[in-house]
Parts: sequence; structure tokens; C-alpha cells
Amino acid sequence: MIEVEALRKSFQSVTALDGIDFVARDGEVTGLIGPNGAGKTTAFRIIYTVMRPSGGRVRVDGLSTVSARRQVQERIGVLPDGRGLYPRLTAREHIRYYGRLHGLKGDFLEHRIDQLISDLAMEEFIDRRAKGFSKGQTRKITLARALVHEPQNLLLDEPTNGLDIPSSRAVHKLIRGIRDQGRCVLFCSHIMSEVASICDRIVVISGGRIAADGTVQELMALSGSDNLDDVFLNLTGGDGES
Amino acid sequence: MWRRLMIVFSKEVTDNARDRRSLLIALIYPLLGPLLLGVMLSAVGKVTVGDSPQALTLNVEGMANGAVLVDWLSAQGVKVVEAPRNVKEAVTRGDIEVALIIPPEFKDLSDAEKTAPVTMVINSSRLSELVTINRVVTLLGAFNTEIWGQRLAARGVDFRSLQPLAIDNINVTSGGHIADFLLFLVPPLFVFNLFMGGAYFAIDTTSGERERGSLEPLLINPIERGALVAGKFLAALFYTGIAVVVQLLAFKTAFYVVDGGADFSATLSVSNMVLIMIITLPLMIAAVSVQFIIATITSSFKEAQTYLGLLPLLPAIPGMVLVFSSVKINAWMMLVPAYSQTLLFGQILRGESVTTAYVGVSTASTLAVAVVLFLVTIRLYEREELIFGS
Repeated sequence: MIEVEALRKSFQSVTALDGIDFVARDGEVTGLIGPNGAGKTTAFRIIYTVMRPSGGRVRVDGLSTVSARRQVQERIGVLPDGRGLYPRLTAREHIRYYGRLHGLKGDFLEHRIDQLISDLAMEEFIDRRAKGFSKGQTRKITLARALVHEPQNLLLDEPTNGLDIPSSRAVHKLIRGIRDQGRCVLFCSHIMSEVASICDRIVVISGGRIAADGTVQELMALSGSDNLDDVFLNLTGGDGES
Repeated sequence: MWRRLMIVFSKEVTDNARDRRSLLIALIYPLLGPLLLGVMLSAVGKVTVGDSPQALTLNVEGMANGAVLVDWLSAQGVKVVEAPRNVKEAVTRGDIEVALIIPPEFKDLSDAEKTAPVTMVINSSRLSELVTINRVVTLLGAFNTEIWGQRLAARGVDFRSLQPLAIDNINVTSGGHIADFLLFLVPPLFVFNLFMGGAYFAIDTTSGERERGSLEPLLINPIERGALVAGKFLAALFYTGIAVVVQLLAFKTAFYVVDGGADFSATLSVSNMVLIMIITLPLMIAAVSVQFIIATITSSFKEAQTYLGLLPLLPAIPGMVLVFSSVKINAWMMLVPAYSQTLLFGQILRGESVTTAYVGVSTASTLAVAVVLFLVTIRLYEREELIFGS
């Protein structure tokens, strides 16, 4: 479970987050949605421990992301904004490296990698070096290394961006499977239709504040529209550009 | 912590070992210095000690005019030959190194025990001819002295009473010849390469990792920043160490080729090479720390590359100055990183004994600086700006 309380973050004179609160529960897929520059990535970065909050706090399974950083890192799997690969390592070596950093080893780790290869259909390129990988192949590897240690909490920053329809569906299926195991998934996107199709709850963020928080139906009722794009535009208060 | 540190270390070593371009760059620099020095040593060695006096051939114009001089030179082992027709042109073109012109009046003046003129035709702009010129001048001087002696003896004077000094030289350098001077170039070249060897790797593993976008996901893993930095740091140190060993072996090989294992190469014995490694290890740690700090605080790979390309010059400068002016080693000098190692390395190369206390002071002071720099690197890795560049 991820709890965000009165979270603030400023960069010199710019306020990226101006006191946001929301909760992503276990057994649910929570979508964080907002226009470009709304503060989604900043909020994610604070949750996944690479940034410190200017105010407020974030707890993952009750642990502070600041004072218990190591323990939080053990409990999260992240597909972050930065998703580069090492061009000279194979896909399998990427997943193995992250698995080992999470304390996995030996047959258990290799078995886990095989399982991910099958889940994400990576057989074709798993032992090739990453240099020249397509966007889709890169995305699958970054997803696999986020999942290798079977984290209780999964944070995905635009996981299907650049994927074709079959691959996107495979990712959606994977996310639902993880939710059904009782784990927490926090999903960040600016594509309303995707968020609506797989999220149990949606948190709308705009201009560093929470604009709305609820199920798809609740948000539709709140915005007075059943067109998803209109819901998004009404709640974020504009054309989506900032 | 150690387990995760080693995971990072082995990943970084494997990753870099697959980068042929980076390996090539890391190995070319250490080889370039010894190669260049080997060629220079070999050239200077040939000029200064290559030919024995017996091999000297002297072109003389007017041999018939100075039979007494020609006979004397021949008796000294010089091969005297008739000079080509246009002597000056022949020397200018470099066909012959030195020519001696004995004018027609030489015989009469010499027979009358008067001062007889001879002319040397030389081209002093050619380095290789300086030694031949010097040899001819020495021979003519010796002829002068001998004729003096004979003429004075004929008048009942003991020539030795006119010679207050009998000069003899003992050269105490280990090599025993002029080319030893070039040995002074070895320590600064060595220090330059020490700062160059792991530079590309240091940039790749910090700025490179950030620009590839692989740093952010890496930092989310449950590993202390200290262990992460240390893993990368040890890998950089490992590659710097390889560059240093390759360089030492290349120096040894270059020296061996030049002198066949006699003088230079003997100073780089296995035990001396081990001693050099021990003395320079703290400097390697300091060098890698500086590389990491620069690569971390610069905003891009290119910027880091620019600074790290210039960095090796800085510690090499004092050593370059030492090539032209010798310094008596003092204890305070041992406190200065890079400078102390340059001086100690120089001592080893010249076959001088190295003071243990000096090695201790040099190691302790450089290590202290290295530890501080390493801690600064860890602090820099704690900053959140690390992911985005400063």
C-alpha cells in the first residue's frame, strides 16, 4: 500500500507538487493521470525514493521513503521515467543484474527469469545484446527487471507507451494478474482510455494538486460527461497542455 | 553490502570488457609513451654510443700535404680516406659527416715546427654529426698535445709539468650514458597515463549511465549509495591498474629492445615494478576519485570528456619540469600527491635507493587525500540532481 500525505516538492522558485494526498491500496490498480507537467513524474520519483519531498510524506507498506529508503526499495518494483539499458549487456543479463541486486540468486533467480521471458514473450531476443533493441523490446526488459523480485508494490510510469496492441494487451493482463494476487499497482499515464480500462481507482493531478479521486463512474458523474476525453479535460481544467 | 558491491563491480567489469573502443583507448595511451620513449632512446643511444672510435672514417682533402697528421690519425684507428671533390657540398648534402682540409702550406710550416692550419668542414645542425665532430676535435687536440710534448722534449722540457690537470670522468647513473637523461621522461609519462587509463570508464559509468537513462532505475534498487559507488569505483580502479601494469611492461619491453637487457631494463626489475605499483596505488585511488567527481558534477558525457582529457596534464606538469631541472628530494615534497610518486619513481629508475620513510609519507598523505575525495564522490551520489545532471 502506498500512502501519500500533503506531499510538496519545489525546485527553486517552481512548485511541482503543492500538497497532494492519495492512497494506492493493495489489490487495486490505482491510476495517476494528468496533463504534461502536472507533477506525475515528480510524485512518482518521490515515491520510488530517488527524490526527497520538500514537505509531507510518503509511506510504502507503512515505511517512510526517506527514513526507511532501503526497506521501501525492497518492496517496490518500478518502471521509471528513465528507462535506459546497457547496450553491451544481453536482455537476460539486465534482468539477472536487477534480480541479484534484490538478493535473488541461483536456480530460483534463473527460474524467475524464465517465467518472465514467457510472460512477456521475450524468447526471441533474450540472449541478444541490448544495442539496437526496438522500443517495445526495451520496454519489455525494463518491465521484467521491475518485476523480477515479485514486489508487493508496483509503480509503472507509462508502461505501454510505444508498445503495439498485442504487447499492450499482454501488459494489461500482467497488471491485472498482479492486482488479483493482492498486490498494489500504481499506474501513471496521460491516456485516459487506458487508465479507465485497467484502473480500479483514478487520481487526477493537475498543476501540482489533486483535481479528483475516485472510480471511473465517480469521475464521470463529477465531470458531468461520459466521454473519457471530456472527463479528463473537465477535471484538469483546460486543453491538457501546460 | 559487500555482496551487492561485488555484483555492481562484476557487472561493470564485464560491461566495459565488451567495449572494444574503450579498451583500445585505455590500452593505446599506456603503450604510446613507452613506444615513443623507446624510439627516442634508441635514436639517442645510436648517436652517443653507437659507433666505436675504430669505425670512424675521416674524409681528408689534401692527404699528401699532411702525411704526419694522416699517419698519426691512422695509427689511432681512424680510417682516413680522400675526400670527394667538392667537400663543402658533400658535407651540406650529408654525404659525409665531417671533412678535414689540409692546405698545401701545411707540410712546410709543420716541418719548420710552426703553427700549421687545418680546416674542419662541419654541419652542426645535424644531431647525429655532433658526436663525430666532437671525436675529430678530440683527436686533433690529442695530436696537438703529442706534438707539443715531442717539441718540448726536444728542448729538454718535461711536458707533464705544463699539464696541471689530468681529467677523468666517472658517470654514476645506472645506465652510464647520456641517454639516461631521457629516463626523467618516464615518471611524468607514467603519471599522465595513470590519470588517463580509467578515465573513459569513469565517464561511461557515471555521465554515460545518466545519459543512457539507466542510472535512475539502478538507484531504485536496494543498495546503499556507498556500495554502489564503491562497486563502480573498484571497477574503474581495476581498469586503471591494468593500464598501469600494461604501461610498466611496455616500458620494460621498450628498454629491453633498446639495450638488450643491460642497463635500463634492469632498473625495471620485477621487484622494482612491484614497488612502483605499491607507491602509485594511492595515486590511482585519488585519480579515480577525481575522475568520478568530475564525471558526476558535469552535466554531460561530452563535458566530462573535455575535462578528463585535460586532467592528466595537471599532475604530469611537475614531472615534466623535473626533466629539465633536477631537485633534491625533501620530506615536504612527499606530502604532495602525484609529485611525490613522480620523484620516488624517478629515484627507482635511476637506480637510487628509496627511503622507506618517504614512501610511507607519500602513501599516507596521498591515501588521506584519496579517502576524502572518495567520500565526496559518495556524497555527490546522494544528491538527487545526480539523475538529471547539475
